[in-house]
Amino acid sequence: MQGSLIDTLARQGVTRRAFLKYCATLASMMALPPAAGRAMAEAMAAAKRPSVIWLPFQECTGCTESITRSHSPTIEGMIFDMISLDYQETLMAAAGHQAEAARLDAMQDNAGKYLLIVDGSVPLGLDGAYSCIGGRSNVEMLKEAAQGAAAIVAVGTCAAFGGIPKANPNPTGAVPVSDIVKDRPIVNIPGCPPIPVVMTGVLAHYLTFGSLPELDDKKRPKSFFGETIHDRCYRRPFYDQGKFARTFDDEGARQGWCLFELGCKGPVTHNACATVKWNGGTSWPVESGHGCLGCSEPDFWDGGGFYKALSVPADPLKFVAASSVVGAGVGAAVGFANRASKNAARSAHETTTLADLEK
Amino acid sequence: MARDSIPLHVVPPGEPGLSGNAPPLLRELLERVRRLLDDGESSAIDLSALPLTPADLAWLRDKLGTGEIAVTLHAHGESTLNETGCPGIWWVTHRNEQGAVMSQFIEAAFVPELVKAHPRDVLTGQEYLESMISGC
Repeated sequence: MQGSLIDTLARQGVTRRAFLKYCATLASMMALPPAAGRAMAEAMAAAKRPSVIWLPFQECTGCTESITRSHSPTIEGMIFDMISLDYQETLMAAAGHQAEAARLDAMQDNAGKYLLIVDGSVPLGLDGAYSCIGGRSNVEMLKEAAQGAAAIVAVGTCAAFGGIPKANPNPTGAVPVSDIVKDRPIVNIPGCPPIPVVMTGVLAHYLTFGSLPELDDKKRPKSFFGETIHDRCYRRPFYDQGKFARTFDDEGARQGWCLFELGCKGPVTHNACATVKWNGGTSWPVESGHGCLGCSEPDFWDGGGFYKALSVPADPLKFVAASSVVGAGVGAAVGFANRASKNAARSAHETTTLADLEK
Repeated sequence: MARDSIPLHVVPPGEPGLSGNAPPLLRELLERVRRLLDDGESSAIDLSALPLTPADLAWLRDKLGTGEIAVTLHAHGESTLNETGCPGIWWVTHRNEQGAVMSQFIEAAFVPELVKAHPRDVLTGQEYLESMISGC
């Protein structure tokens, strides 16, 4: 695929106006001024395809699924096609030595200029032997690829924060990318999986401005992770009114009341699900009646149980913001009630039983 | 099974009503219209970036009224670019294929940028016309 992005899009049936409309929305989602949509469209339409090397480490391929699969071909997917994806194990046709050669070629030809995308955490146990590609450990490959990268995008909670492989007791000694690479700009796009448009947004920003978007203290793009799920939740008014669902089939659940007492981690989770939604804007976890799991925060797997109401303060998730959550007395009381059992479970790393899931 | 047959009815928590954030937007629009007339500079306000309630948006739409022109764009979902009762102010709504509102703007412009045909696209049209004539 040669030529500018707009020509390639046109060949796939995406008109200029559709692209402009998409860029206007993308700029809006990224909290950029409306004029940026146009600048973005112009820059991206003419952009040269940056070389991208995607290294998969201790991961489940869910992140790749999230970004590449959708019900209808989206502009997101097409923009993703526009980058020169020179190495991606799951998607590339080449295998074995040919694949590794493609990676090395891309690294050499685009030294200092390529974007490095990483999904999955990096195991350090047994000298990294827990996860190898072509006989080489993940940590070795990451260090090598990071050297020539213009920037690194850590996709998914595993690459950003260690994720599920790092969950207690972390048998493989898994660490996030940022624990290993210290001298390159890193963007974390956490989520299990992450929202596709966040990925496109970061790529679009990079193509348009030649730089990475503004990041928060956890290296996440502020425009998508600046607010909590709770801040933007359409069920928030019920929280403010003290109306909570207490089981998944009670009157409150039927009325669509707040899921805080059923363990929703929305108040301490920074992500854009409440506004961007999933599956082409169809719905998102809270809208379909299940609390937020907090998957875009560090150590969400060890947060004390998905169905336990947040304790105050929410220690494992380490959020000051939790103190502002105490608004409703009910929520706080439930939190305290769960705290003892949660602490006990955490220290002993007990296997979760069905009883733990019940309140 | 249709989604309607699941006995789950989400009751909206009641309209929060007017937040008071809409009236200042009229002043902002006045300033933008002034700039449009003085320097020919078009601009837009991103409504999804502002803390506006549905009631605020309804109030604003009502105040601005309906103009003579309504443009519908069919491109990856429907978009509407409607002139308001104040010429030069357009209410722009972008929807996705599922019909959900993706972004919403108020534009101050003689003609919204999106309505104009791009020279490159006009060129394609010209080539098409030429090919039709030569094919006759």
